[in-house]
Amino acid sequence: MITGADRVLPYIYAFIAIVLVWQIVVVFSGAHVAILPPPSLAAKTFLELVSNGELFRHISASLSRVIIAWLIGAAIAVPMGLAMGRSAAVERILDPVVELFRPISPLAWIPLAILWFGISEAGKIFIIFIATFFPIVLNTVSGVKNVDPVLIRAGQVLGCNDDATLFLKVILPAALPSIIVGFRISFGTGWAAIIAAELVAAQSGLGYMIADGMEILRSDMVLVGMVVIGILGVLIDTVFRIILRHYSWT
Amino acid sequence: MSTKAKPVEIRNLEMTFVTKQGENVRALEPINLEIAPGEFVALVGPSGCGKSTLLNILAGFIKPTGGEALIGAEPIIRPDIDHGMVFQDYALFPWLSVINNVAFGLERKRFAKAVRTKIALEFLELVGLRDFAQKRPSELSGGMKQRVAIARVFATDPSIIFMDEPFGALDALTRRFLQHQLLEIWQKHKKTIIFVTHSVQEAIYLANRIVVMTARPGRVKSDQQIDLSYPREFTQEKFRTYEKLIYDQLDEELAKTFDFESKGVFRE
Repeated sequence: MITGADRVLPYIYAFIAIVLVWQIVVVFSGAHVAILPPPSLAAKTFLELVSNGELFRHISASLSRVIIAWLIGAAIAVPMGLAMGRSAAVERILDPVVELFRPISPLAWIPLAILWFGISEAGKIFIIFIATFFPIVLNTVSGVKNVDPVLIRAGQVLGCNDDATLFLKVILPAALPSIIVGFRISFGTGWAAIIAAELVAAQSGLGYMIADGMEILRSDMVLVGMVVIGILGVLIDTVFRIILRHYSWT
Repeated sequence: MSTKAKPVEIRNLEMTFVTKQGENVRALEPINLEIAPGEFVALVGPSGCGKSTLLNILAGFIKPTGGEALIGAEPIIRPDIDHGMVFQDYALFPWLSVINNVAFGLERKRFAKAVRTKIALEFLELVGLRDFAQKRPSELSGGMKQRVAIARVFATDPSIIFMDEPFGALDALTRRFLQHQLLEIWQKHKKTIIFVTHSVQEAIYLANRIVVMTARPGRVKSDQQIDLSYPREFTQEKFRTYEKLIYDQLDEELAKTFDFESKGVFRE
């Protein structure tokens, strides 16, 4: 039996180890505080940013961008993946398109995002959207294609007489775990893309905080931003894992 | 109250597959069979003889390349809820609870929820799994899963049921228990059953008629009535006699299969 403590403890140990190594590097390298501040300074900065509300402003800005982009991504990628998984003709047309765009990093879209959307919120969401899109498409396609054929036959002899009913009653529920895995991976890739998205003309967000910290030589802010991204990433992923556990029936 | 069992008429039914390499593989030579309503027919034959192919044609999953098959005097166009099927690997919907699996077909037949629940529980009771109604299939053993599948197919009250080696993956004891249970249900709800199996014993234990098929391409080799009252015992003398009869026929076919294979080896 794996308890909650068993899951959380490794993360706490890892965190302590990272802080220790960080402290050791600081001591032995003798780096200037602006280049590599000690953990204690980062902790102090963290508390300051918490108490003046700045950190929460940045977190909520980043999080809402990722959620919006991810919802748009899912709204387009799920139907597209379902169509590709069900129809060989659709897959033949769309698969090469997906495969050609997929290797292009969200970073590469920054110039076009600025040209197309200016420095508005839309440009940032667009870049995160690019990052969320492909994992959902790919997992949806594979989820639909890997539905056990015998379940489809069972659906047919149990009264799913048309394609729409069969799809809703058998194929979609059978593919759901894989689709949710896609959601989980894509939220992660979207979350990682906030740096790219907020690199340009942002006034808020954890990515902005990091970029800003670099410009004003506040590497303590940079480090706080990085740590917060890491911890929130793990927490969000945990939420998805809990949801997935509910949907994994094997 | 329950749907009337339907007869099956198979006329010159044949099947040739085209492989990916473009070769024609003859799976079924013209087959002729007439099955009366309420009969329990076992199809036995060497592996690859096309008995599952025949079942899949009757269930409407694949189209024959020649001849025709009628169920209740009507041609088979596509899978039909009135023609139930039990699969070897259970084919339960893993995202649904046991009771919702059993009620799946009833929902498609537009029964009201209360009625669905009532019927589903009735059939779960019949297979002794009423207490497992709320469990997920993944929490059940293989034998229990197949009992759910049997409850699921009988619950929709079809006029004919196809069973494709339903007990093939189960251990001997579970198998024996399920055979017994299936007979009880069949005797209570008289349906036409066409049952594919590898096991001669199982065929004689269950069926009132055994159709032996030849090695590929499959044809009807023999068609044998089993005149034994239920419940049958493996130790009965007549049971043994039937067993020998069917095994002799199968041995002939197996010999042919080996002959083919060894010739094939020599040619290479």
